[in-house]
Amino acid sequence: MPYLGGEETVRELRRALSNPNVQSDQLRYRNTILKVIRAMSQGVDMSGLFSEMVKACATVDVVQKKLVYVFLCSYAALNPELSLLVINTLRKDCQDPNPMVRSLALRNMTNLRLPSLVEYVEQPLAAGLRDRAACVRRVAVLGWAKLHNLQASSEIDAAVVNELYSLLRDPDPVVMVNCLRALEEILKDEGGVAINKPITHHLLNRLKECDIWGQCQVLRVLQRYRPQSEDELFDILSLLDASLVSPHPPIMAATLSLFLSLCSGQPAVSLAALERVRGPLLAACGSGSREMRFTALCHIQLLLRSIPGLMGAHYKRFFCGYAEPAYIKQRKMQVLVELVNDENVAMLLDELKGYCTDVNAETAQAAITAIGRIGRSYSDRCLEILTGLLGLKQDHITSAVVQTMRDLVWVCPQCSDTVCFALEGCEETLQDSQGRQALLWLLGVYGERVSSAPYTLEVFIDGVRSEASLGVKMELLTATMRLFLCRPAETQDMLGRLLHYCIEEETDMCVRDQALLYYRLLHCGIEETRKVLQGRRSDPSLGVLIGRPAEPVSQWARSFNTLEPLRQGSIETDGALNRLKQ
Amino acid sequence: MIHSLFLVNASGDIFLEKHWKSVVSRSVCDYFFEAQERATEPENVPPVIPTPHHYLISVLRHRIYFVAVIQSEVPPLFVIEFLHRVVDTFQDYFGVCTEAAIKDNVVVVYELLEEMLDNGFPLATESNILKELIKPPTILRTMVNTITGSTNVGEQLPTGQLSVVPWRRTGVKYTNNEAYFDVVEEIDAIIDKSGSTITAEIQGVIDACVKLTGMPDLTLSFMNPRLLDDVSFHPCVRFKRWEAERILSFIPPDGNFRLLSYHVSSQNLVAIPVYVKHNITFREGSSQGRFDLTLGPKQTMGKAVESVLVSSQLPRGVLNANLNPSQGTYTFDPVTKLLSWDVGKINPQKLPSLKGTMSLQAGASKPDENPTINIQFKIQQMAISGLKVNRLDMYGEKYKPFKGIKYMTKAGNLCQFRLH
Repeated sequence: MPYLGGEETVRELRRALSNPNVQSDQLRYRNTILKVIRAMSQGVDMSGLFSEMVKACATVDVVQKKLVYVFLCSYAALNPELSLLVINTLRKDCQDPNPMVRSLALRNMTNLRLPSLVEYVEQPLAAGLRDRAACVRRVAVLGWAKLHNLQASSEIDAAVVNELYSLLRDPDPVVMVNCLRALEEILKDEGGVAINKPITHHLLNRLKECDIWGQCQVLRVLQRYRPQSEDELFDILSLLDASLVSPHPPIMAATLSLFLSLCSGQPAVSLAALERVRGPLLAACGSGSREMRFTALCHIQLLLRSIPGLMGAHYKRFFCGYAEPAYIKQRKMQVLVELVNDENVAMLLDELKGYCTDVNAETAQAAITAIGRIGRSYSDRCLEILTGLLGLKQDHITSAVVQTMRDLVWVCPQCSDTVCFALEGCEETLQDSQGRQALLWLLGVYGERVSSAPYTLEVFIDGVRSEASLGVKMELLTATMRLFLCRPAETQDMLGRLLHYCIEEETDMCVRDQALLYYRLLHCGIEETRKVLQGRRSDPSLGVLIGRPAEPVSQWARSFNTLEPLRQGSIETDGALNRLKQ
Repeated sequence: MIHSLFLVNASGDIFLEKHWKSVVSRSVCDYFFEAQERATEPENVPPVIPTPHHYLISVLRHRIYFVAVIQSEVPPLFVIEFLHRVVDTFQDYFGVCTEAAIKDNVVVVYELLEEMLDNGFPLATESNILKELIKPPTILRTMVNTITGSTNVGEQLPTGQLSVVPWRRTGVKYTNNEAYFDVVEEIDAIIDKSGSTITAEIQGVIDACVKLTGMPDLTLSFMNPRLLDDVSFHPCVRFKRWEAERILSFIPPDGNFRLLSYHVSSQNLVAIPVYVKHNITFREGSSQGRFDLTLGPKQTMGKAVESVLVSSQLPRGVLNANLNPSQGTYTFDPVTKLLSWDVGKINPQKLPSLKGTMSLQAGASKPDENPTINIQFKIQQMAISGLKVNRLDMYGEKYKPFKGIKYMTKAGNLCQFRLH
């Protein structure tokens, strides 16, 4: 059926739905409704057909009912008066002998999300809680939660809450879990379900009967419980032991979260638990699903903050495959940096060197940054690799290498000789502003050892009129000033030209003000200028990579098994480094 | 929990949406489209995207993105596992999970999504239970329904809710009693240019198909159980017995299920059972490169290596490849530079080889990217770790069942040879 446009379709379908011939033929009726749903699923606005669909609701065909309910639940908010007509059918269905029809009706009554219908819905819902069929009870329990969401300000009757608490002892495990979910939502302002000892023991005993999602829910809710004695604590832990190494990653993660919150006072037990989940976490890292691998990697990063040696023997598992997506490769490289030690450093650096020529520029840059961080402890090897990479003369690689070298030199001043030697000639391949800024900083601070420094700076100064980046211009000013202080004869002329341009012709105020500041400084005398400009060149205390003290588990235990570790961002704050260098 | 679900195809169109709480407008997917455009390849879209009021968690399967909209803090592993379960269910029901299949069966899809989630919380996701509630569409059933006007919806409650052992219903009857076990191992390895293994891992699963009457109690033992490291079991396995005696004792579910999955510790590095002799060279200044690749089996204990598929991403400067395979067919895509060689079965007497020349872009310098060769293969009747089942016994029933065990080794996603 060609979709010529929304209104055309709506008109045609309305004609079909109101046609009495169609209405009497069950099959045709159902097919027409199917077309409505299909159009709706593709985003066409079908709300004009509301009244016809309401009439279609009164049928014995269960499939047709379901389709109509799908439609009504989407558009009910726009047509509150017409929705009242549906309520009668729904209430009748709540008394149907077939439990499936009852649960369907109950579920959709609460899905309609209309505040005006609340008074009609409460009575069937209350009856549903006591229904003899489990599937109806499940729906009824969640229905109360939906009702509460609809009218957050109204108080849910205390009797209902009590009944929900007693339904925690229902023989059907799904009803029990649904009660937990409903009570969590209804009692959100009071902090959720009140977990005391009898409830905890009851939930733990029935944990095995629940499916994966139910178990995760129970484990999450139990985090609030505080055991009253050490014996009780260890009883609970041994009950949950098998779940800690469950083949399902969500259960394993939820159990570990629970362990960590219960054992917050006993670090030894927490550390033992972390050791036990190493196997399942590594298995999740090798799972077929990319998203699972990524999430497992992010969680392993958290664990490594407390037990740096946890994955030491398994570092090879974090080597990147050729075809893996970039976001996984970048996280794996972050983990590899944490795992470096004396025995594996050669092999690790070899691997990382291979990734530096990856097709994806971001991944290549991440690899180079990783080598730079390892260089804080193993500077010779890393510098060798970095200098080799400069030889490839590719712009994104050279840019990343120069930035990494700048960071490295800040932290390990002993590398400055090698770095200065390597800098010769790389300004030709640098295109982007980050790389050029880094190069200028290095030339400024170590200019006396780089023989070609004044000539490189001169090229930049000659091109300053067409320079677009603000950061590069500021860095150029500072670098030329610093170079002037150590090599005055060669730089005096170009410094003059640069200052003249910045003060007279430059339109950006920040650059102009900086140039004015330097000009006035020079007037005050060379000693003053030296004091201001030649501050610290390095800060070795920032660089310790190995031998960093392990963080206590409690620092990150709250963010385990949440979305927190998955957010972008590396562990170190390189921003702090940048601020110090100004 | 999960507020809404959108299904997005590879070209960025939303073709299905379902809401469980309030209706969320499609504009929330704009953040997803932004990320999709920024990613160079479809797999590079990050699975978690934060937006000002929601989180978007997505999985990519069969070139469709299943994007879940979350409004509050949730454990990410939970959502990801659930989305995969939804995809697996669709695949179970329709045979394939493509955009066309979903659009054709939009009724069943909506019914399934209604049953699987209520108010955003997962409800019934077990395949046997869903299948009793909503019967899967088969050609026969669709025809019958069209003619008689009956529906797919089951009229009775599923009986699986009533037995003592939750994973096996009572009253199972078969005329032929049989139990089959498949040991499938996947090897992921990286081999460097001299043929030595850099890293190797073996992940294995044992899948079972059990069609036995009544409530049988099975016992499975291995010849060398110490090989198994990091094992995870189906909930039916009695864990204490495994810890004490390394014997698997269990009452099996009815039908197909995964008995256990394991990882083999690799103290002695196991190698890929295929070796590669390669000579891929580019010369400075010339516009032609040489390509020469030969495969051979290695340590397969006489078993044949089949379904071999070799693929390699050639450097960007390569324009075209003129190659001559001694067996099988190859394709080279000049746009993506992907070379793919479908070899078939390796004959140890006459090793397959692929020789020829590659033409480079004029004036391009010698490419310095490192090509790698990815390989896929299957070997029947061999478990590469050496795992062997000792015996399988049955207690609790009087008949004699037919038992069978099959082994297979195949390459995982990460089976590659590096050439530099």
